[in-house]
Amino acid sequence: MKTIYLAIVSVLLITACDNDLDQTPPLLLESSALEEFGPVLNAAYYYQSGGSTPLGVMGDFRADNMLMLESPYTAFDTYNADLGGLDLVEQFFRPFYSNLYKAILSTNNVIDNSTDATEIAEAKFLRALSYFKLVMVFGDVTVNLSPAPSPSDLSILTRQPAADVYNNVIIPDFQDAIAGLDNSGLTSGRASKIAAQAFLGKVYLYRGNFTEAATTLGAVVNSAAAAGITLESDFANVVVDGNSEIIFATPLSTSVPNAYGSATTFVGWFSGADTKSLTPLDPRLIDAFDASSAAGGGTDLRKALTIDTENMNGSNKYTGALDQDYIDLRLSDVILMYAEALNENNVAATTVLPLLDPIRTRAGLNSLTGTVSSQADVRQAIADERRVELALEGHRWFDLVRTGTVNIEMGETISSDYNVFPIPNSEILASDGVITQNEGY
Amino acid sequence: MKFKTNLILTVVLLFNIALFAQDGRTLSGTVTDAAMVPVPGVNVIIANTTTGTATDFDGNYQIMIKNGDVLQFSSLGYVTQSITITNQEQLNITLQEDASQLDEVVVVGYGTIKKSHLTGAVAKVGGDEVAAVQVARVDDALAGKLSGVRIQNQSGEPGADPKIQIRAASSVSGDSGPLIVVDGYPISGNLATVNPNDIESLEVLKDAASAAIYGSLGANGVILVTTKKGKSGKVNFSYNSYASTSSKYVKDIEMLKTAGEWAKELQTSAYDLSETDPGLLAYRLDAYANAPDVVSIEDWLFKNGSTTNHDFSVSGGSENLKAFASLGYLKTDGIVKGQGYERYNGRMNLDANLGSKLKAGLSMNGYYGKQDIVPWEMRDLLRSYSISPIYHTQASIDFVQQLDRNRQALFDSGFTGNNIGRSFDQDYRGIGLDPTSIYDLQPGDVVHDWQYGRNQNGIGGTGDAGVAAKFDNSRRWKKTYFGNVSSYLQYEIINGLNIKTVFGADLEDTQTYEYHGILSDGQQRSNQTELDISNIKKSTVLSTTTLSYAKVLAEKHDISAVAGMEFVNTYYKGIVNNGTNVPFGLPLNYDFFDPADVITNEIDETQSRNGFFGRIAYAFDDRYLLSASIRRDGDSRFGANEKYAVFPALSLGWNIHNESFFGDRDTFSLFKLRFSTGSLGTASFLGSYNSLSILGTSPTAYGTGFLIPEDIANPDLTWQTNKETNYGLDTGFINNRIRLSVDYYTSDVKDMLINQSVSEVLGTPAIKLNRGDVTSSGLEIELNTKIVSNENFSWNINANVSTAKSEITSLGELTELPRQIYGGPSGRGPEFRNYVGGEIGEMWGYEVTGEVETIHMSDPSRGVGYGSGEWYVVDQNGDGEITYEEDYVKLGSATPDFYWGLSSSMNIRNFDFSFQFQGSQGAELYNIDPIYWKSQFGGRLKSSFDANDDGIADASGKFYQETRNAHGSGIQDASFAALRNLTLGYTLNSDLTDKIGLSSMRIYLAATNLLYIMADNYTSFNPEGVEIENSGYAGPTTYGYQEGASPIVRSFTLGINVNF
Repeated sequence: MKTIYLAIVSVLLITACDNDLDQTPPLLLESSALEEFGPVLNAAYYYQSGGSTPLGVMGDFRADNMLMLESPYTAFDTYNADLGGLDLVEQFFRPFYSNLYKAILSTNNVIDNSTDATEIAEAKFLRALSYFKLVMVFGDVTVNLSPAPSPSDLSILTRQPAADVYNNVIIPDFQDAIAGLDNSGLTSGRASKIAAQAFLGKVYLYRGNFTEAATTLGAVVNSAAAAGITLESDFANVVVDGNSEIIFATPLSTSVPNAYGSATTFVGWFSGADTKSLTPLDPRLIDAFDASSAAGGGTDLRKALTIDTENMNGSNKYTGALDQDYIDLRLSDVILMYAEALNENNVAATTVLPLLDPIRTRAGLNSLTGTVSSQADVRQAIADERRVELALEGHRWFDLVRTGTVNIEMGETISSDYNVFPIPNSEILASDGVITQNEGY
Repeated sequence: MKFKTNLILTVVLLFNIALFAQDGRTLSGTVTDAAMVPVPGVNVIIANTTTGTATDFDGNYQIMIKNGDVLQFSSLGYVTQSITITNQEQLNITLQEDASQLDEVVVVGYGTIKKSHLTGAVAKVGGDEVAAVQVARVDDALAGKLSGVRIQNQSGEPGADPKIQIRAASSVSGDSGPLIVVDGYPISGNLATVNPNDIESLEVLKDAASAAIYGSLGANGVILVTTKKGKSGKVNFSYNSYASTSSKYVKDIEMLKTAGEWAKELQTSAYDLSETDPGLLAYRLDAYANAPDVVSIEDWLFKNGSTTNHDFSVSGGSENLKAFASLGYLKTDGIVKGQGYERYNGRMNLDANLGSKLKAGLSMNGYYGKQDIVPWEMRDLLRSYSISPIYHTQASIDFVQQLDRNRQALFDSGFTGNNIGRSFDQDYRGIGLDPTSIYDLQPGDVVHDWQYGRNQNGIGGTGDAGVAAKFDNSRRWKKTYFGNVSSYLQYEIINGLNIKTVFGADLEDTQTYEYHGILSDGQQRSNQTELDISNIKKSTVLSTTTLSYAKVLAEKHDISAVAGMEFVNTYYKGIVNNGTNVPFGLPLNYDFFDPADVITNEIDETQSRNGFFGRIAYAFDDRYLLSASIRRDGDSRFGANEKYAVFPALSLGWNIHNESFFGDRDTFSLFKLRFSTGSLGTASFLGSYNSLSILGTSPTAYGTGFLIPEDIANPDLTWQTNKETNYGLDTGFINNRIRLSVDYYTSDVKDMLINQSVSEVLGTPAIKLNRGDVTSSGLEIELNTKIVSNENFSWNINANVSTAKSEITSLGELTELPRQIYGGPSGRGPEFRNYVGGEIGEMWGYEVTGEVETIHMSDPSRGVGYGSGEWYVVDQNGDGEITYEEDYVKLGSATPDFYWGLSSSMNIRNFDFSFQFQGSQGAELYNIDPIYWKSQFGGRLKSSFDANDDGIADASGKFYQETRNAHGSGIQDASFAALRNLTLGYTLNSDLTDKIGLSSMRIYLAATNLLYIMADNYTSFNPEGVEIENSGYAGPTTYGYQEGASPIVRSFTLGINVNF
């Protein structure tokens, strides 16, 4: 009978000895085992793609360039609590929010743990950019500078005043990025010194610090050519992937995953490819182009290169379809911001307006120099130029809010509550109310 | 694990030890009842050994004995007889019926126990009861049978798993399916892998004390499946076959209208069309009323289904080697287009006596199932307007072209609203793969919605592809292969002391396939195409070794004990491929894809568990009963600090009717008190590595990216424990012809594992942690009666009713968990709440008092079947406005007030008749289907309805909200009462069957869901439906959410059972 005991015991032992409760995944990487931070930085870039379409839609559909036609999307064009409805939040605001905070966690990890100075500088650029986008969209936001925030301490989630986020995070991070980067990243689409400068200038403009804005943006305008950034000669090329006036873009393509989950991308929304708004073109944008033509003594070539008035959509601007990159910042934008800053600093119209000439010439229009002179008129002229030059690039609404011209330009009285967008309601629930909703939503 | 080597070793052991000398001699005989009718299946066992056999169909047995052995003859319903062997050659036995029936043996964890000694809450269903109702799955046979066990048809699809819930839900996040143990082996698969015809008995361990011996696996209850074993003697063959025809129970959903019905309805006084331009109205009514060859989507999508089933089994053996083998085949053609299920089952059970002390067995079970699944969301298919044929006819082509010309004429006449100037073609979607113009259509082409106009053309069609385009260019299926091999060796060390080792492995290979081609998308967007193929192999290797002892000392002390250890490794290996931009016109093979369009995830996970356990049961004089058990379990899924836990249990019983002071035992024949308490643990929904922080990866434009982990490392992640106390009372009257059992339990779940939503600032929407306590209680009552029990006429009625209530008593430092808002893409739905003091998953929101009347719609003619999409809501706090939260009320919960079953069976001579009712009362659900079907998105009221736009209807002063905000609008009563099964059978006279060489033959007719009563306000196809595939699904918290569930099916079956 000994053989039987032996058999039973041996079967038992064979099984038991292979039974180990400390199991770790053989094919996966634990975050604690991380030694190489390049791929973490790549993820921080990747997460920007989750914010592009929402940002584009917010910039143009909330303003007077584009219209949503089917409920509940029409909430973009009515200024009340409806924009906070679950479907819109899930499609636009939540992906925007969650992807940017993921980008921030990734950058925090690189900044805290990497030993590579360039990686750290790139991470600071992306962190500043992520917070800048969040503040533009939501106003006050939660600030997290840790790669591993505690899930049990809800107090760290308290939304910080936008001014503090600018002063304590965005501005210093861009400054560090400027110090730590050169322009070699431009060719590969990564962060560069000049991009950090350009964004910093834009930040100053948003802060109303026109002196610093003019200095910083002026430096960008003046050093652009040396960095290889020049205006495209043909407006048709200004949003083509990889064109010469791009300072920073978020690459989107069908060949790599997009962190944004929903089906319709910003190109689809603008070109009327989504059934929720098949004819999204706001007639007021047609009027803006026509006014631009009339004031410019010719036909504004940008009209036909931006909108399709027969089908009432914006399908003429983008030809890249699903491979179209999202242009975060290009040289025309910087030139226009520089001109705006100078004008706010009371620089003479005759100095400011010629800055616009290369952009207007390219559009088939005459120079504005001499046609307007007062600071207010120049301000309006630059604003009008921005609208048509940068139409369907996600800027319009944020420009209106920044310049305090929402009511005048939109032609209706809109509560300032709706200058910002709704915080995803899931955040308020998940933080037990520590994260608060914006007024009016 | 060197599984193969181990298996071979085991098999070799089994066969090498097969040649032990046998002593003794053969004894044979026949067992009959008092009426001299042979009794089959009587256990014939040599007392104090495990050696035994059973009588065959003719009551014959044969067994090796030696003089001095005591032979015990026992069978359910009869008094056990013991005979000491002297020199008999032949031993015929007449068994006396046992009115009390108490000595039925019940299978419990790692052993068996006499029913009279049972102290926990264990329910048993015999295999004959499973076989009597022809069901496709074992779980279906349990529906309504047992108190405290709720079987819910949550999907309705053929082959889909029903929801099994034993007692109250123990988690807010994790599913609560029970552990399935087949012949002592906890299987990886589900009950679909077991052929209903193979069942000898099913035992359900409901209370913690009974399940505690399974420790970490038993927290949601345990279903113990015992399959049939071979019996020595004559070889028996059995063949069962049936064919069914089926259809959906709910015949016609009123709100799903064809365009023609809609045109008629629109012109009734319920609608006011005065605000619509007369020209536009005429154009629309023409379109609705005169569209030719209209096919109702409901008629097209649903059809009659059918099922055929064949089972064949053989059982037999010699005294020392017994075998049972079966084969089963089932094929179902579903009642929804694209639904089907095909299944093969095979089983072989071998048991061998290798000498007087050593036994061995081998059991093999194989299963293959293929489920064809409707490849598109049902709610989306059903909302398609029934204004067209499915494929164009010449008439429909002519009609759409004429309609487009009518549109142009309307525009030319001066009407300019609604984009009427735009031709149907102008907004057609697609990239030219289909006919690109309505003027190029040919008969037979797929109809798309836009070809009948859209919002832009004055008619409210959608931009979706036609239903045929969706079906013809999509496919979805799931295949499961399952195999289980388990073996045991059992050796009697001394009389009453056995050592047993069970060793085995199972493999469940699941393949899923989902394809959506470019033509299934209305706009023919390449990025909406997908080809997702996954193949995951889950294998488990298990070894259990137990030492067990059973002895009756001095006739009064019945002692049994078991101690053991168990090691289980579970391996997941597989590949999940997700492909998009599916190339058009090429074979569906990833080789033709752009490599960047295919994302492959390789899965390789290991989970290890081990457990050490013991149990002692003691019964004194059949009066005082005690059982105590303990188990220590370790599990690799938990955090480094918290891998082990100990689960004790204690139970007591008192057979008061056996006391001498107890009076008349004929009328009051059973009076027993039971008490048990025990604790259980569960890993609930945890995956293999949730306590670790694992980086995901994704290709990015800059190279590989390491994504933010979905889990935050948590070394303290640990067991959720459930301490449950059960109080039971069993009574029996008139020799137990009437039996009534009552169980009441309370359960306290501590350190509940939850998937808690967290701020996305943390990089993940939810983390797994232990937080909170839930207490539950429930009352279960079972009544079993034998009203008549004669040879020619017997009649039983059984009934049960159960309640289960739960309350969240703590959520750590929180008072409420983040609410789940789960209303699909276009509706908010109610908020699913978990808060201290509430039930799990309460639905909260605005109370509605009715839908705003259609007469108030500004333009009801816009699209087919539109409702107003606005609801009157109640201003709860009376502050004159409807405000978020302040006007919320509890709208319902998915937990029923009670659920019940009622069954009866009757035998009159050769006829048998049985029925089974099942019902549930008082649960609510949120049904989103009508919102889609009626396109109820709101915003369509006349401006005069609320002229000052303050959210109050001017005429009535009532508050109103759009459907998307009117949370109560989709809340419906989920109560139902179903006649699950009705069977009428006829068994041929044995004289007749003998002549043709059969031992028995029965034919039967059966109906499933012949009657199914649903609540008046329920407006979909399946009140038991729960949407579990939507990403918002959060286990018990969202059990109340329903969307496009496959309909309840009514079927009629004709079947035959033959034994020979």
